[in-house]
Amino acid sequence: MGSKKILLVDDSSTARLVTRLIFSQKSNYVLLSAVDGKDAVERAHAEKPDLILMDVMMPRMTGLEACRILKHDKETSKIPVILLTTRGEEQFVQEGYESGCSDYLTKPVNDTELLDLLKAYLGE
Amino acid sequence: MTATEEKGPRPEMQGREGSAHETRGLTFDALRVRAQQLSLREQLERQHFLLARLNAASARLLQAVEQGDVYEAVGEIIGNLIGSEEVAIFRHHSAHQTFLLVWSVGVEKETLHQFGLGAGLIGRAAHEGTSQFRNRRPATPLLPHEASLTACIPLKLDREVIGVIVILGLLPQKNGLEWADFELLKFLETYGAVAAQLQNLQKSSVKP
Repeated sequence: MGSKKILLVDDSSTARLVTRLIFSQKSNYVLLSAVDGKDAVERAHAEKPDLILMDVMMPRMTGLEACRILKHDKETSKIPVILLTTRGEEQFVQEGYESGCSDYLTKPVNDTELLDLLKAYLGE
Repeated sequence: MTATEEKGPRPEMQGREGSAHETRGLTFDALRVRAQQLSLREQLERQHFLLARLNAASARLLQAVEQGDVYEAVGEIIGNLIGSEEVAIFRHHSAHQTFLLVWSVGVEKETLHQFGLGAGLIGRAAHEGTSQFRNRRPATPLLPHEASLTACIPLKLDREVIGVIVILGLLPQKNGLEWADFELLKFLETYGAVAAQLQNLQKSSVKP
């Protein structure tokens, strides 16, 4: 089975780097990155990743807006989107699911939880 | 007493019992080895995740020195890796013998714009040069602006306290600081100070 492409979207370079380092133990994931929602939409079209891991609060375009756009486009609508956010309250989670996301993780990301979730979507 | 009890198990049962005992023994050994493997793997993974966090934090500090945004970087590290959006950073002003707020997020600047040595937990962190965690000192009286305090981390260059990082509330989904958070805060205590001082020197050296 080939490598799985994951598009990581976060405006924080710290968050992008720590996720990249966490994934470094998983050789079957190829990590691409984008710095905001607009960048994510463009990269998703160009790269067709197997999964998108996206922060919610970002400049230019939020993760929620980007998720809505991706889900309304038939080329990207089937790509699972996992939203990452600092806001774990029910109303924010609800808003996330309404945007079309497949799952929701709160920050700071629990490494094991993240890897388990990716395994559930992408397999071993 | 039956014949069986007198003579022990029948020969055909002896063989079976021996085999069952062996199987149980093997299963037990296999389980023990498996448990040991899992425990060792967990130790390695915990270490890997901690190093990933420290690596990301140090890379961000180095980048921040270049960009001149060390305080923002410290706030970003705490926000993303520890889980707080209520952070204030103070610098020591020797002329005024006080600590003045230089950067904050999610904090009311009017109530927390400066403090003196020894006042409350924040002042104690500055005075003693040791990190103060509210849950480790539940009996310590807090000042009004410390009501939601979680931790105060002195920024130390050798023994000199040049500033203090104050972490107020944690994100709602975060129940408290964990072992990896303490390691990261220990890192910031030293290298946050180094980066802040380097940034100051760079700024002062480019002044005409």
